Amino acid sequence: MTAHDPCEWCEEVLQDYLDRELTDAEMKEAERHLAECPYCEKRYKFEKSLRRYVYQAVTEPMAPELKQKLSELRLEL
Amino acid sequence: MSETSSDEARRLASDARERVRFEEEALDLADQVYRVARGLSRSKEEAEDLMQEAYARAFRSWRSFTPGTNLRAWLLRILTNLNIDRGRRAQRAPDQQPLEESDYFLYNRIEATTGETEEERVLERLSQDRVPEALAAVPHDFRDVVVLVDIGEFSYADAAQILDIPIGTVMSRLHRGRRILKKELAELAVDSR
Repeated sequence: MTAHDPCEWCEEVLQDYLDRELTDAEMKEAERHLAECPYCEKRYKFEKSLRRYVYQAVTEPMAPELKQKLSELRLEL
Repeated sequence: MSETSSDEARRLASDARERVRFEEEALDLADQVYRVARGLSRSKEEAEDLMQEAYARAFRSWRSFTPGTNLRAWLLRILTNLNIDRGRRAQRAPDQQPLEESDYFLYNRIEATTGETEEERVLERLSQDRVPEALAAVPHDFRDVVVLVDIGEFSYADAAQILDIPIGTVMSRLHRGRRILKKELAELAVDSR
């Protein structure tokens, strides 16, 4: 796993790392690399914040009127 | 009342209780379903229409839901299918544009053009108001996966089940969809400088 450039490897798996979809061994290796590489760590923090940023940008509470309308769609008993 | 008709009455009453429970559980999940609907839609109005269409269909087909299975995923499957039907009617040619090679390119690009080096400051160069616009520019096959995983917080496996595609396809679309989104965000960030 470490035969190639560790930064290239880190970049390749970073999204899966953020999704926590790597194997335990890969998660540990990514954590190790991020702890010792400021270049990748900075980009990791950016990617993590970017996800939160995108999430917040499109997350708005549902209008109460819509909830009411959905409730009215229930079938008659 | 004869035995048969009282059996029938009990069956109807039990059926009605099950249906009410289903409807209440579905309504309790509406906020979470709406988050995905909003992520998939260009406007609030479009998201609200999609929600009403999806809930009307869910209430009509409640019998096809198996109690004890994942109701949120079941509702999202209805919603994404409806959205795909809508999207197909107005879909552009599939996205074939070349993508940036590096996953770090958005950060690198903003850092290079603004001189900002702190990740939070780099992020501030993006306008949050324009994120829905950037997301809407992602072709829907890719956008569906990005919205389910990054906004709906579904696992790859749940997203695969909802969209009825293999998990490997979820991963490749997610990978490409996030890259396309970052490319769109980079263009907007450069535009607004």
